[in-house]
Amino acid sequence: MKHVLTVAAVVLLAACSKQGEAPAAPAQAGKGPPPPPPYQMRPEAPGGNRLAGGDGKTLFEVNCGYCHLTGGMGTNLLTKQRMAAGEPPEKGLLANRTDLTADYVKQVVRLGKNAMPPQTKVDLTDAELEAVAAYLGKAK
Amino acid sequence: MKLTTPPRVSPQQFDVAMQAMAGVVGKDWVMASDADRDAYADAYAPGPQEQWPAGAAVAPASVEEVQALVRLANEHKVPLWPVARGKNLGYGTAAPRMAGSVVLDLGRMNKILELDDKLAYCVVEPGVGFFDLYEEIQRKKLPLWMSVPGNAWGSVIGNALEHGIGYTPYGLHARNLCGVEAVLPDGDVVRTGMGAMKDNPAWHLFPMSYGPTFDLAFTQSNLGVVTKAGIWLQPAPESSLELVFDIPEAGDVGWVVDTIAPLKISGLIDQNVFIPSWLGKMVLKGQRKDFWDKPGAIPEWRVQELLKEHKLGYWQVALRLYGEEPVVKAKAEIIKAAMAKNLKAPPAENWWRSGDPIHAYETTMGIPSAVPLQMSDWIGGRGAHMGFSPVVPATGKHVQGQMELSRKIIDSFDVDFYASFTIGGRFANNVNMLMFDRDQPEQIATMKKLFNALIDETAKAGYGEYRTHLGWMDRVMDTFDFNDGALRRFNEKVKDALDPNGIIAPGKQGIWPSAYRDQAKEGRA
Repeated sequence: MKHVLTVAAVVLLAACSKQGEAPAAPAQAGKGPPPPPPYQMRPEAPGGNRLAGGDGKTLFEVNCGYCHLTGGMGTNLLTKQRMAAGEPPEKGLLANRTDLTADYVKQVVRLGKNAMPPQTKVDLTDAELEAVAAYLGKAK
Repeated sequence: MKLTTPPRVSPQQFDVAMQAMAGVVGKDWVMASDADRDAYADAYAPGPQEQWPAGAAVAPASVEEVQALVRLANEHKVPLWPVARGKNLGYGTAAPRMAGSVVLDLGRMNKILELDDKLAYCVVEPGVGFFDLYEEIQRKKLPLWMSVPGNAWGSVIGNALEHGIGYTPYGLHARNLCGVEAVLPDGDVVRTGMGAMKDNPAWHLFPMSYGPTFDLAFTQSNLGVVTKAGIWLQPAPESSLELVFDIPEAGDVGWVVDTIAPLKISGLIDQNVFIPSWLGKMVLKGQRKDFWDKPGAIPEWRVQELLKEHKLGYWQVALRLYGEEPVVKAKAEIIKAAMAKNLKAPPAENWWRSGDPIHAYETTMGIPSAVPLQMSDWIGGRGAHMGFSPVVPATGKHVQGQMELSRKIIDSFDVDFYASFTIGGRFANNVNMLMFDRDQPEQIATMKKLFNALIDETAKAGYGEYRTHLGWMDRVMDTFDFNDGALRRFNEKVKDALDPNGIIAPGKQGIWPSAYRDQAKEGRA
């Protein structure tokens, strides 16, 4: 188990690499675990009226991206959990999950869960949370 | 969480105050439901969150709105607890010291007002997080680096105001503040330094005022609400070299400090040098139960096994140099020669040159990350942490003495010892990280007793904390006992003069306005 985290991070990197992202430095064979992933930029925060919501994907990446993009704290912990449950490492990214319902997403955001503290309405307004929950909540 | 109103305010009066505040910010930005109060509670509370309940939260979008809210707070005798982004994890999160205070959440004030790469500074509002500033610098491709704390989820200004530390040459974050705008407890607005003159372009460049300099008086303070500030940034270096030394034994920390501190004080080393013990690496490798499945502290024999299995020293010094390559090389030779007097193994050397990629966890290169919070998972369940954080002189004698003292106390409570020292110059910040599961009352009870013992015994040894959780703010203030607590009396005199109604952050850092001094016994952990 000891290298699961780094292995997971690298697998994820391959799975989630997007155009414009800097490539990771190549791992040196036989010299310990491969390097951590590069920093993943979030999109620019949309301007305008936050009480009106917006695009769920953008709002997710801007407001949840601190921890839930590639290499983030939440992604690292969830990757470990999902792999322990027999799922592939890319399921550590919330955007790849198909088993989350919108209501569950809303509940975790507002109440927190395990290592995740609750998010206030200044972190994410109700309307923004609706959009994020609709984006992540792929299970019906 | 049910409504707790501030002292001597009825629920009806509180409601009237909230309606008045909604008139300033709009009803959507007054958050006063039970669920809202939960969201502003201390996520890592050592014990019931209800011990530090907010009455509500209100979120202004401008300095004018902050002024209007402060005036209403005076009128309705409803105190405010300002937070920048409310991510002061381990020290109280967004929760107030005094029950019923209204959290003044400045998270909507999140504009980067200036970003100057020639003179290497920025001007930001309190809602700007480390991630926001970092990404703006990247988007504009400016040759600027930041200094970030271990957990960089929070606010740039908020962390500086709380005396946060980072691990770069700009790691003493409060010292990066230059020129502050603050709303005073009567609603007036003031600018410090050269900013006291209208449109003075040196506001965020010259660090002193004409006359007394008040910038730092607004840090760990309840004298005003900081609404913008200048922050100095590091010019991006041409190259950087990391020297990683594994230090085998716990007792080696003395010579390590005696080797590094003089080089830091002389200026040869310019970063804050972070010296974490082995557990700092282990918490990222899995959960505690993967390595030791009993509730008491991991015994020494198992610690030694783990160090061997994971090829770790008891301490690790990942020292980083910044600048032109020939200068960095020359500095590295001097450091390596100094360390070689006590350590045979040469350091691992990791070069970075301008244009090379930087990975996501390079705290010593100013990359913001929340990954260190993964340590919450070490204990499992609803993991949380608190830091016991005394400051000691940066000599081997003091550091080793403090390490042995806190280790003895922590061992006596059968809790894992996880310490770090950060050499910031003539001093070292010692953080003893205490991790616990929020759903295990007996663990919390132990942590509270342990924390009290650490404060008391460390004060007897002559050292004080640089920062602490809400529940210990008064106990730590009590340890500053020169002339029967003269500093507290001075703080209280200033507080009462500026804030006769006591409406800004009563009890912050153990400083109580006379209006609420009767509350000082409440909310102690």
